[in-house]
Amino acid sequence: MALQDAQVDPPAAAPLGARPGDAIRNFISGYGLFAVLLALPVYYGISDLKNDGNLAHLGQNIFQGLSNGAIWALIAVGYTLVYGIIELINFAHGDVFMIGSFTASALFGTLGLTLVSSTGSIVFGLILTLVLCMLICGLLNVMIERVAYRPLRNAPKLAPLITAVGLSFILQNVGLLWQGGSPRSVDDLIHAQQDVFTFLGITVQRADVLAIVVTIPLVIAATTFINRSRLGKAMRATAQDPDAARLMGINVDVTISLTFLIGGMLAGAAGLIYALYQTTVQFNQGFQAGLIAFTAAVMGGIGNLRGAVLGGLIIGIIQFISDDRIGTQWTPAIVFAYLILIMIFRPQGLLGEETREAG
Amino acid sequence: MAGCLLGTAALGVSACGSSNSSSSSSTPAASGTTSSGASGGTVDVYSSLPLQGASKDQTNAMVQGIQLALSEAGNKAGSTTVKYQSLDDSTAAEGNWNAQQVGANARKASSDKKAVAYIGEFNSGASKVSIPVLNSVGLAMISPANTYPGLTTSEPGTEKGEPDIYYPTGKRNYVRIVPRDKVQAAALATQMKTDGCTKVAVANDKDTYGAGLARIFDTDIKSKGIKLVSDTGIQKDAANFRAYASKIKAAGADCFFFSGVTANGAVQITKDVAAALPNAKLYGADGICESGFTNPSKKGIPAKIGKNFECTVATLNLQSIPGGPAFLKSFKAKYGTDKPDPYAIYGYEAMKLTLDTIAAGGTTRDSFLTKLFATKDRKSVIGTYSFDKNGDTSLTDYGLYDVGPDGNPTFKSVIKATAG
Amino acid sequence: MATTVKKKPLAALEDRFPKLGRGPQAVLITAIAIFAVIFPLLMDPISGTLADATQYLAYVVMGLGLNIVVGFAGLLDLGYVAFYAVGAYCSGWLMSSFYADANIHILVTGTAAQAPGVHVNFLLVLVIAAMLCAVAGVIIGLPTLRLRGDYIAIVTLAFGEIVHVFAVNGDGIHPFGVGYPLTKGRDGISPIDQIKLPGLSQFNSYLNLRPYYWTILAIAAIAIFISLRLRDSRLGRAWIAIREDEVAAASMGIPLVKTKLQAYAIGAALGGVSGAFLGPYLQIVNADSFAFSFSIFVIATIILGGLGSVWGVVLGSILLSYINYTLIPDQLNSVPHKIGLDFNLADVSIGIFGVLLLFVMLIRPEGLLPERRRKIELTEGIGAAETSFEVST
Repeated sequence: MALQDAQVDPPAAAPLGARPGDAIRNFISGYGLFAVLLALPVYYGISDLKNDGNLAHLGQNIFQGLSNGAIWALIAVGYTLVYGIIELINFAHGDVFMIGSFTASALFGTLGLTLVSSTGSIVFGLILTLVLCMLICGLLNVMIERVAYRPLRNAPKLAPLITAVGLSFILQNVGLLWQGGSPRSVDDLIHAQQDVFTFLGITVQRADVLAIVVTIPLVIAATTFINRSRLGKAMRATAQDPDAARLMGINVDVTISLTFLIGGMLAGAAGLIYALYQTTVQFNQGFQAGLIAFTAAVMGGIGNLRGAVLGGLIIGIIQFISDDRIGTQWTPAIVFAYLILIMIFRPQGLLGEETREAG
Repeated sequence: MAGCLLGTAALGVSACGSSNSSSSSSTPAASGTTSSGASGGTVDVYSSLPLQGASKDQTNAMVQGIQLALSEAGNKAGSTTVKYQSLDDSTAAEGNWNAQQVGANARKASSDKKAVAYIGEFNSGASKVSIPVLNSVGLAMISPANTYPGLTTSEPGTEKGEPDIYYPTGKRNYVRIVPRDKVQAAALATQMKTDGCTKVAVANDKDTYGAGLARIFDTDIKSKGIKLVSDTGIQKDAANFRAYASKIKAAGADCFFFSGVTANGAVQITKDVAAALPNAKLYGADGICESGFTNPSKKGIPAKIGKNFECTVATLNLQSIPGGPAFLKSFKAKYGTDKPDPYAIYGYEAMKLTLDTIAAGGTTRDSFLTKLFATKDRKSVIGTYSFDKNGDTSLTDYGLYDVGPDGNPTFKSVIKATAG
Repeated sequence: MATTVKKKPLAALEDRFPKLGRGPQAVLITAIAIFAVIFPLLMDPISGTLADATQYLAYVVMGLGLNIVVGFAGLLDLGYVAFYAVGAYCSGWLMSSFYADANIHILVTGTAAQAPGVHVNFLLVLVIAAMLCAVAGVIIGLPTLRLRGDYIAIVTLAFGEIVHVFAVNGDGIHPFGVGYPLTKGRDGISPIDQIKLPGLSQFNSYLNLRPYYWTILAIAAIAIFISLRLRDSRLGRAWIAIREDEVAAASMGIPLVKTKLQAYAIGAALGGVSGAFLGPYLQIVNADSFAFSFSIFVIATIILGGLGSVWGVVLGSILLSYINYTLIPDQLNSVPHKIGLDFNLADVSIGIFGVLLLFVMLIRPEGLLPERRRKIELTEGIGAAETSFEVST
């Protein structure tokens, strides 16, 4: 449908040999991106040095941004997996994440986890909750694919976009009926904002530890599975060329279901971490989170797992710096402005896309 | 609509739409005055509230209150039968009030010749849309929730031209049973002075209500010699407000006031501020003074934080108000709890006022309006009040609530706001 | 005015569907057109039905605008709300007492001529809104030129969200000096001047909606006309060529940059015109209206109707607006009560909306009235689908 390589300018410009503008253009496309990415941290780093004489404040921003971004990274991986394999923006993905949060908060009640429970039972209960959340969200995502996307696989490209929106509304309604319209507190089981230690002026809280401790193994596990296992190979083969994959004896339907399962499981895990980290859940949280995670996936290079993680972490940092220095009401604009700049300098995303069309 | 259009083409006009009276009067201005309904007849009352989306819990409570008042009266006001219809001013796709829906609701009521009263809106911004529509046909509007001053007065904190721009006929048709922000802001500021606040941080949700109240509060608090650390508009659906919390901590705030409604990030920001400033006193206005915010078992703020929280509502101790205990009893009989949220109480009083005004002879739009503005020393579940010529209530006493052992807002004391 | 314009698309339509015969098709379209014009006379001038119809037509205009970008040129734009916002703010800035310290009156009469603030004639505002939005469309389009497919979607989405954030926080920005904020945030600029047009008397959105209805009907008719003419023009064929194969189109000598930007500009201008109409019609310009969900709503209307199909988009916009603004909030809500159930249907309205979207798309994935050219592709595609994994469009 489009240019084989998104980096190439309109074809007419390509073969013309070196022009004086090219040097500047190459310079901009090579270093402009770094300039953009570093603009905020460097600016505030300098102002911190001037005011406080050290970088602790900025370091704190970046660290908290990283732990916050870990949640976005988990959701973004789900987006990017699904996009990589069927080239569809799964608008319902954010709402699967919301259902994950709601499941977690409901399970705390069912399992009898409260603030007074013993540490051992909380740890055990949380692991159980994590497994259940991942399972429920994974299966939910598989079901969504079965109901809303598979029947439309041969339909015009944008038709599944609307069924995705439809399902997103249905899931939001489920959330609305389940826990009501107002934001809902979740018991702060892990005492999220309790300090664990301070290092070089950067305070590490329990929530940060949780986010990082859960995210890193999950992402490593997912990446290893996709890169090493047979099924993972099947996924990559289907993503590259479904017809050829089918000819090679790969069951494309099962492979796609598997992709949705993994994406949903990561969203479920993100849902649990979100519930523990923020300690508030709301039926429409998936919308905002989905938008951010999708942005992260595109920023990192869609279809690219490591890219999605990187994108999530970068957005987390941008959000925190902006929340602190500029004001929460401007944060979405800052994040999206960043996205546009990255798209201008590096249309294929930070780490390059891995989709069929990218070749 | 497409089916509706085609169907109408084939079958004739009356097949289509729910609100069109088949008249095609070419003198629309007259339609307001032609309403006729003798006592013993039937009159229509509408309410228009956002029933979908994030504020649905509050508006459902309000509709409960309205329906309780109606069923107590057996759908009768005197000898007149009252037909009530609850309209929705929000849409599914947006989950929020929507100017088109508000306009449609107001027009639906104004084209209904039997309509005498319109209870609404929930959002002050929405009332800016419906007041002029209803004003043009002289239909009375009773708001159970709007506190934005510019709807009725031109006092400080309002915009140039307000409130006259909302009343094209020049004759007022809007009353509210809740005191406007000026009173509540003064009450809150007075309470903070009493509690010994020295540095107050304010966050508002940028809604007409939240931002408006914060604007007036800011001037009040400064006039009381208390330092205002900051007044920040927040992004209501942000994942958390930790950066904000550490910012006001660095600024040395010892009191925090959230000016907004529960749906707009209230729980999250209060928890984040409490985590950063465990000893700070936390305040809220009537937008969050409800069990959905305060009660841990309803997934509101945790009890630990609730201890530091106080909020203001225009309702006072129901047990000590004439008619209060009876209201609580019938509320419990119908809904199983004797701790109604303030929203339910306002809804109840809005309908009760409507019924009493109809019973007093207000069975046409004109007479209803006259009787409504003549309301004087009315004894109600929210206290004894009259309306001034702007349609504002004379109530000035605010109830101070804290979080009771059951987690619900519990009446603590009356604040007599001092001028400021 | 409306009737004369209506005739031409009719002729164009006949050319499009020669096989269907001129008879029944032409009669149907003429009947609908005539009915659309006399419809308000059958209604109470402030009836809810008339108000709804006016609103639906405004969304038809937006749907047609977005259809040029997405349907014709194949550029997936998820930030269309930006143009609604810019258009609506044009009427907010230029037709109200918002800037009360300024005293500018251009070609206005009546109460607007006396009121403080900036008051400009509605027709001028329409032109300004169209031009401003065309410029905005080009600005938003520029960064997407090198991008393909869904990357365009995310960049346009990002612009839409940025515009929304500026609308919400604009009360704190004073680009034109103190006392002249950019917007009034979630509070909303209200009221807006009533429209005044020569030939149509007594615009009063409180008492008489008929002139509003006829105005937007005329705008919609013009938008349909423009869409049909553009589709069959050289430019329209260039858009479709780009949509189908950008590389091939470029090698055939189609200037990509110019052609794409024209699509953005024209599509945006229609959104701006509709927005500038909705300002005075709804009497408020409120930042909350400009959320991402509105972009989704408009894109849903055109995909549901049939991407690229002008009449499909008209039908889709009307149908979906009816579901969202009338069927669910007004009519379904009273159903449980009527059959004696104590159940609040508003609790599940968003789910009903979702289910409807899901089912319509599953039953008719190509849209209600698919574009003829696409229909051919689709039938070919389905025939080949046994072996092909996905039909790329």
